[in-house]
Parts: sequence; C-alpha cells; structure tokens
Amino acid sequence: MKTSAVDATEPRPPFSAGFAELFLLFSKIGLSSFGGGVSVWMHTALVERRGWLDETEFSSALALARIMPGVNIINLAVLIGHRLIGLSGAVAAVLGLLVGPSLIVIAAAILYRRFAGVTILDVALAGTAASAAGLLIGMGVKSGGRIVRRGLASSGRTAQGVGTIVIFAATFVLVGVLRLPTVPTVLCLAPCSLALAWFGGRKASMERNDDGG
Amino acid sequence: MEDSRTLLALLVVFAPLSLVSIGGGPAVFAEMQHEAVVVHGWVTQQQFGDLFAISRAAPGPGALLATLIGWQAAGWLGALVVSLAFFVPSSIVVYVAACFWNRWRGSAWHSAIEDGFVPIAAGLVLAGAFAVLQSGGAGPLAWGTAFCVAAWRLWRPNFHPFIALGLGAALFGFGRAIL
Repeated sequence: MKTSAVDATEPRPPFSAGFAELFLLFSKIGLSSFGGGVSVWMHTALVERRGWLDETEFSSALALARIMPGVNIINLAVLIGHRLIGLSGAVAAVLGLLVGPSLIVIAAAILYRRFAGVTILDVALAGTAASAAGLLIGMGVKSGGRIVRRGLASSGRTAQGVGTIVIFAATFVLVGVLRLPTVPTVLCLAPCSLALAWFGGRKASMERNDDGG
Repeated sequence: MEDSRTLLALLVVFAPLSLVSIGGGPAVFAEMQHEAVVVHGWVTQQQFGDLFAISRAAPGPGALLATLIGWQAAGWLGALVVSLAFFVPSSIVVYVAACFWNRWRGSAWHSAIEDGFVPIAAGLVLAGAFAVLQSGGAGPLAWGTAFCVAAWRLWRPNFHPFIALGLGAALFGFGRAIL
C-alpha cells in the first residue's frame, strides 16, 4: 500500500479507517458545521479528537487548499482524505461533505420559501453566523499564539522567529483588515515565509548536527 | 429538450468557474451571480440573495450556493449537474497536486513549505472571520458574540464547538431582545 511507505518515514498513531468510516466522519463534520467554518470542525475531529493529523500537516493543507482552484473546504477534504487513505479517502471525504449538506440546503430552500421573513428565524441565522466567526477567531488566535510563543522563544534564531510573527500579522492585516485579494497577497508573502522556514530549518538541523558531533 | 439545454448550459457555466475559483468559492460568487441572474435568468436577483443567505446559514460548505442555483434552474437533476460541474474539476487538480505533495514527504524543502505555510494559514483564518463579520451589516452585537465565543473556545477547548455555537446564538438572540 502506498500509505505504508509514507508511514515509514513519519511515525504516527495507528490508523485504520476505511471508505465508509471516512464518509461518515466527513458527513458528520459537514452536517454539524452550521454557519460556515467547516475547517474548525475538521480540525476538532481530525487533529484534536483523533490525532490522525498533526498541527503542521493540517495548517499546511489548509494553506494549500486556499491557494489552489476550487472551494477551500472541498480542497482540504481532498488533501486530507488522500493523506489518510489515498484516492478512496479523497472521494469519501468530498462525498461526505457534499451529499448530506446538499440535501439539507435544498430542504432549507424549500422551507425558506414558505417561512421567509419570520424574525426569530433571521435572528437565529445571524446569531449562528456570528458564533461561527467566533470559532474561526478562536482557531486563528490559538495557532497565532503558538507562532508568537515559538517565535519569541527561538534563541539564536531571532530573525526567523520575528519574521514568522511578522508574516502571520501581515497576512491577517492585508487580507482581513485592508481586504486585499487573497491569492496575490499569499503569492507575495509565501516566498518570504518559505525562505524563512528553509533557512531556519537548515540552521536548526546544522545545530542539531553540531550537538550530536 | 428545453431541460437538457438548461442542463448543458449549467454544465458549460459552472465547470470553468470550478477551475478559476482560486481563493475559494466566494472568489467566483460575483461571476456566478452575473451568469445566473443576468445572462441566463435562472434566478432573480432577490432569489440569488435568499439562496446566498440559506447556503451561509445551513450546514456544509457555503459554496452549496452553486448547487442551489442548479436546483432552482432545473430541479434535482440541475442540482446534481451543477454539483458535479462545480466540485469535480478543481478536486481533480488538487488530487493530482496532493499525489506529488505526498511523494516528496520527508525532504527538506517539503518540510520548509509545510512550516512556511503555518503563519500564513493562521493569518488567513483570522482574516476569514473578520471578512464574515464585516459583511452583511453585522453590527456590534455580532462582533461581541463572536469574541465571546472565541474567548469561551480558548478558555474551554475541550467542549465540543457545537455547544459554543448554541450558546453564542442564544447570547446573540438575548442581546437582540434586550437592546
């Protein structure tokens, strides 16, 4: 199997899930993600609860999913499904995210035609959307906090640590506050961030070699 | 005959949109609105706005707006055709990229790319939250609710997000009632 070769290079908790289990899990994620923010639910289910992916794998998949064509969440499902069990995993994850929610959303459209303009419904929808944005903020602050802590603690590699914090802050301000388009902004920031990670990683591995020798 | 022509038109409109939607579904919502409302008249402007609100509030990806347009234009078959046209082409591109991506796992530049994208992803997640809160006339109450939910989530990360979502919606409703 293809995944066994991958596991050999990078040890991970014992993982055994088939098409059906992945389909059901992603259906559950899709159906519980009211008001958007599907990525938060994926993070909770896959990283926090099951430990099938680590933080770095999830974050990089999230960033890759955003710069490739297609809906971010669907792309993320393709990447994660493929990472876990290959082609059938990607198909199971995407179908799980789409089939159940499609039926619900069409049912909702039918109902909405009948009950449009009912105030309590509108308030519930708006409240749910605001709370979902809050979940996103929580997720961003959590990984942002980790970046800042690690950046400040990186003794001997201060430039890299501070640079990483600057990249994080710049991404948020440019896209979130100044509302610049995502793709060009990421294409400008990514080379800087990748260079930092490349040279920082090389320096770190050289230091490790020095310690060993 | 009319039906199959509509289905074909849906396919022709949504398949290319799938491949140019770089940055996510919302990147092509404007183009989707133009094709569906102005060019083909599958939905009215009012209907488009309603379908957008429904797709945002219902569970699942917000991009199910595309599926809803297909459903409005040509029923269940339309929903199916649009779903395939809009979600499959981009997924194939991403799948091929993922194959290469995993093959090079473990190499130095692979880890550099993974680490390098971490701060950008974190910034984009926060930016996405702010974009939602800035759009659609969300007032101070929405911002307050969002920050309360975020604080609760950071304080008690082990609670299922569903609980935070329910409490947040209740808080928002309570705030709306007394303000």
